[in-house]
Amino acid sequence: MKDMNMESRVLIQSNKIEARKVQVYYGTNHAIKDVDVDILDKTVTAFIGPSGCGKSTFLRCLNRMNDTIPSCRVEGLITIEGEDINDPRVDPVQLRAKVGMVFQKPNPFPKSIYDNVAYGPKIHGLTRNKAELDDVVESCLRKAALWNEVKDRLQAPGTGLSGGQQQRLCIARAIATSPEVLLMDEPCSALDPIATAQVEELIDDLRSQFSVVIVTHSMQQAARVSQRTAFFHLGNVVEYGETTQIFTNPKDPRTESYITGRIG
Amino acid sequence: MKSAFSFPFAALTLFAGAAFSQDQAVAEATSSSVLYRLIFALGIVVFLIAAFTVGRNRAKTMRSKVSEMHSLPSFHGAVTLQYAALGIVLAIVLHLILGRPLGLGGAVAASLVLGGAGALFGLSTIKADFRARTFTERTIMVALILCSLVAVLTTVGIVASLVVETGHFFELYPASEFFFSTVWNPRFGGGSSLGILPLVWGTLYVSAIALVVAVPIGLMSAIYLAEYASKSVRAWVKPAIEILAGIPTIVYGLFALITVGPLLRDYFAQPLGFGDSSSSVMTAGLVMGIMVIPFVSSLSDDIINAVPQSLRDGSLGLGATPSETVRSVVIPAALPGIVGAILLAASRAIGETMIVVMGAGAAAKLSLNPFEAMTTVTVKIVSQLTGDTEFASPETLVAFALGLTLFTITLGLNVVALVIVRKYREQYE
Amino acid sequence: MNNSLLTQDKRTKQRNAAEARFKAYGLVAILVALAMLVWLLVSILSAGSPAFRQSFLTFPVLIEESIADKSGTRDPAVLTKVTTLGYAKILAHSLEAEIAAKGVDLGAMKPKEIGQMISEESSATLRDMVMANPGLIGTTIPFTAIASGRIDGYFKGRVTMESAALDKNTSPEQLILADNLRAAGILKSEFNPGFVTMPDASDKRPEAAGLGIAIIGSLMMMMVVLLLSLPIGVAASVYLEEFAPKNRWTDLIEVNIANLAAVPSIVYGILGLSIFINFAGLPQSAPIVGGLVLTLMTLPRIIIPTRAALKAVPPSIRDAALGVGASKLQTVFHHVLPLAMPGILTGMIIGLAQALGETAPLLLIGMVAFVRDFPGGLFDPASALPVQVYTWTTRGDPGFVERASGAIIVLLVVLIVMNAAAIYLRRKFERRW
Repeated sequence: MKDMNMESRVLIQSNKIEARKVQVYYGTNHAIKDVDVDILDKTVTAFIGPSGCGKSTFLRCLNRMNDTIPSCRVEGLITIEGEDINDPRVDPVQLRAKVGMVFQKPNPFPKSIYDNVAYGPKIHGLTRNKAELDDVVESCLRKAALWNEVKDRLQAPGTGLSGGQQQRLCIARAIATSPEVLLMDEPCSALDPIATAQVEELIDDLRSQFSVVIVTHSMQQAARVSQRTAFFHLGNVVEYGETTQIFTNPKDPRTESYITGRIG
Repeated sequence: MKSAFSFPFAALTLFAGAAFSQDQAVAEATSSSVLYRLIFALGIVVFLIAAFTVGRNRAKTMRSKVSEMHSLPSFHGAVTLQYAALGIVLAIVLHLILGRPLGLGGAVAASLVLGGAGALFGLSTIKADFRARTFTERTIMVALILCSLVAVLTTVGIVASLVVETGHFFELYPASEFFFSTVWNPRFGGGSSLGILPLVWGTLYVSAIALVVAVPIGLMSAIYLAEYASKSVRAWVKPAIEILAGIPTIVYGLFALITVGPLLRDYFAQPLGFGDSSSSVMTAGLVMGIMVIPFVSSLSDDIINAVPQSLRDGSLGLGATPSETVRSVVIPAALPGIVGAILLAASRAIGETMIVVMGAGAAAKLSLNPFEAMTTVTVKIVSQLTGDTEFASPETLVAFALGLTLFTITLGLNVVALVIVRKYREQYE
Repeated sequence: MNNSLLTQDKRTKQRNAAEARFKAYGLVAILVALAMLVWLLVSILSAGSPAFRQSFLTFPVLIEESIADKSGTRDPAVLTKVTTLGYAKILAHSLEAEIAAKGVDLGAMKPKEIGQMISEESSATLRDMVMANPGLIGTTIPFTAIASGRIDGYFKGRVTMESAALDKNTSPEQLILADNLRAAGILKSEFNPGFVTMPDASDKRPEAAGLGIAIIGSLMMMMVVLLLSLPIGVAASVYLEEFAPKNRWTDLIEVNIANLAAVPSIVYGILGLSIFINFAGLPQSAPIVGGLVLTLMTLPRIIIPTRAALKAVPPSIRDAALGVGASKLQTVFHHVLPLAMPGILTGMIIGLAQALGETAPLLLIGMVAFVRDFPGGLFDPASALPVQVYTWTTRGDPGFVERASGAIIVLLVVLIVMNAAAIYLRRKFERRW
């Protein structure tokens, strides 16, 4: 399995997630129409598009967070490594351990910094003892580039950190369950430019270990961090391809209008 | 402006009723005295309406002559009415202070004279530049302020009456005995032991059982309603549970007396050898627990709903199950508010009267057996103050000391709970 | 770690089981709460509904001159000397005669005991009829007497042959005769309007006890509460919400109101006793005192929802009115208050409903007294619905338990109507800004 992965990455990068003909309805409102997207492994994929175009909704389909909204109905096929995530046998709990998520607004739990990061490993039983847990917390905080700032106050409440620190804490929390895919829903929209730069840098680092999907409002951000970009418009994927191609040579006129600032 | 005056009218009607309630010399038979009072009250109303109309008409005539007036005619009418009402109030107060010297007839005469004088003075104020609207609005404002002071006066009245009578009690009975004696044995005729400890024990025991029943049920219901229930289930179940809070406590008392008490006695206390009393701490505690469920569940439900959805998303997004999310994220976040809700429920249980009067019994005891009849502070307040009360004996006055203790405990719980809940709300606003 | 999503690992299974358990606890908690509600209501309904039916004995009564008026003078002064015991005898004789006329099997019953089957209340009623109209003496009139509490209890399942054998107020023979009388059509179980219209009756006559005075007393108190607390509550709310400066003083009033709403109701009873009765000298047991006490208790509970209703009116309405030159007071009274009225009325009705069911403070101001005469005004002694329930439960005769439960049904029906009105108001006028 591992060998194949190595091999395919060299040739054509393997598809981590495949979505085919995905439809999402909120009550009678048809929010996502016929979306086909492949998410590649060890790649940052950006979803861009005007607000209300369905990019966040689609992102939430990938780890079945839409299950928590009663009126929401998802149709179509989404597979992760060939397994249908909407199969009745699939437990969303296991799925979400595999497909982590970082939200728009930093949402640290009202607990200590340590407990925030340790939460995932604890509930999934990933560590056997306190020492191992300590190691996981430290390495995740390091990966999230937060360790040096908080190592002296791990027992301080996570809500006491600055906005950028909180968001990096949430990223550390998400990668502590060692997911294979990390979904990020506009992770920088509540942050100032400096914090945004830190998080973007972090996303680039994470690419070596995870497949990252990021929803963003900012086209510059998409251009900076992603290798592949999907442009959503009114619930459809208008165009999907290499980021450089989307930004330099868009095929669809709507994409062009959007990236040149005429719609959005 | 008319709606603003319905209040003075209503107050005056009642006031007039009170003033002549005991004019037995004037009206022997009850029914005719009622009739007189009604006629008098009605007379006042008619008189005031007349004052208003005359004042307004006079202002109207004036307006047709002079070019410009500051206030509308009806405000001038209102000023006339105010002075007339002032005269009548003065007359009635005089009548009451002087001990009703001339009976109802005198009161009517005085009202007519003083009220008429007031109305005349009111009419004399009607001038083009008189700010009748400002005057009226100021009067109304004073009335509004006085009304909002009623709440303060109530508290002052409660505290004053409790403290003064408790002071009298401690002149007759040593405070140390009251607070530390373990015997409650009032004897009308002297030589009573009036220790509060057995009563406090009973109160706390009953309240503890009530909370043991209500907190798990209330909290789990709130969690289910907030986190699991569909919208339609919630729309029906939440009000249904809240019905429990709307049922008068006397109904719970009767339920304890005729249903729960005998049931517990026949199926638990007697077979298990815990005694054969149908009124017991357990009976009262269980029934009170049912009553308190909505106090826990409603407030907890509000508080759990106030926990931001983003926290839930964060936890679910990490692969936590909903119950793990509730236990490790939602409840800790909502904890201060839930503690506040439980404190309010406890205060409610401690101050509850009818359920314990009818369900717990009257014997003051320090016992651990939950199937034994015990008594509480509120039960003893009722039993010492109902029937023929003689206000000089410590056996009666002790009720005020009990009342003061109860008031202090519940006030403390309420203040702490309200502060906690308020702080909690601010945190997420 | 198991990598496939399609199979659950052991830990996930355990976690899902915990999830299912947790969810089940919540469901069980709700079901328990609802079951308690149903149990409570069913228990009260089943215990109380018989109070609305009553066993009556209908037979012609010959008002014997030899008992009612030995002198034959029809002089009222002489007539009053005949006590209800005499009239009890008259009723017993007439019933005996009717039994003989209809050929009802007396069984082992001694004729002497027949009188015991008729409520003493009916003798008093008959006596009152004769006092009002002495011309009835010597004539035969149709009369409907109330059967005694034990006979009534027999038809309601409260009294059995076994219990009757031990009871000195009745006997198995009486019950057998009662069955026969029922078969002969003399004894009938009928709807009993007297339960809601008649005054309370003494300890020995549960069959005659009614709620009339209690209902009137409660009604009077509610009038007082409504008349006082609506204007005062609205005025106080308007001041605090619209005019009061935000300073320490108004903060204190606010905290004070929140706390008053949570003060145990019995404390208001103590307040009423010491201020209204001892200090102001108002009469005990009077609806005016009850009304005042309940007003003070209800005020904070009205002010809180009223302020919420005022707060819900958007500031843009106030700005609009102020913008056309209305004074602040005119703005409030012409625009804000009418818009907030449905919310205020809803809060008011709920506050009144709470006051109606309140018992504890009324016990302390003497509403427990036994009252037989209908009150003529706010200052006459009266009872109150919930207090009547309490006094009935303290009486010895088991017949009063049924009466108390019946009274609760009346109380609950009124409360349901009031709350339904509140819900209707809220639904009808609900406005989303």
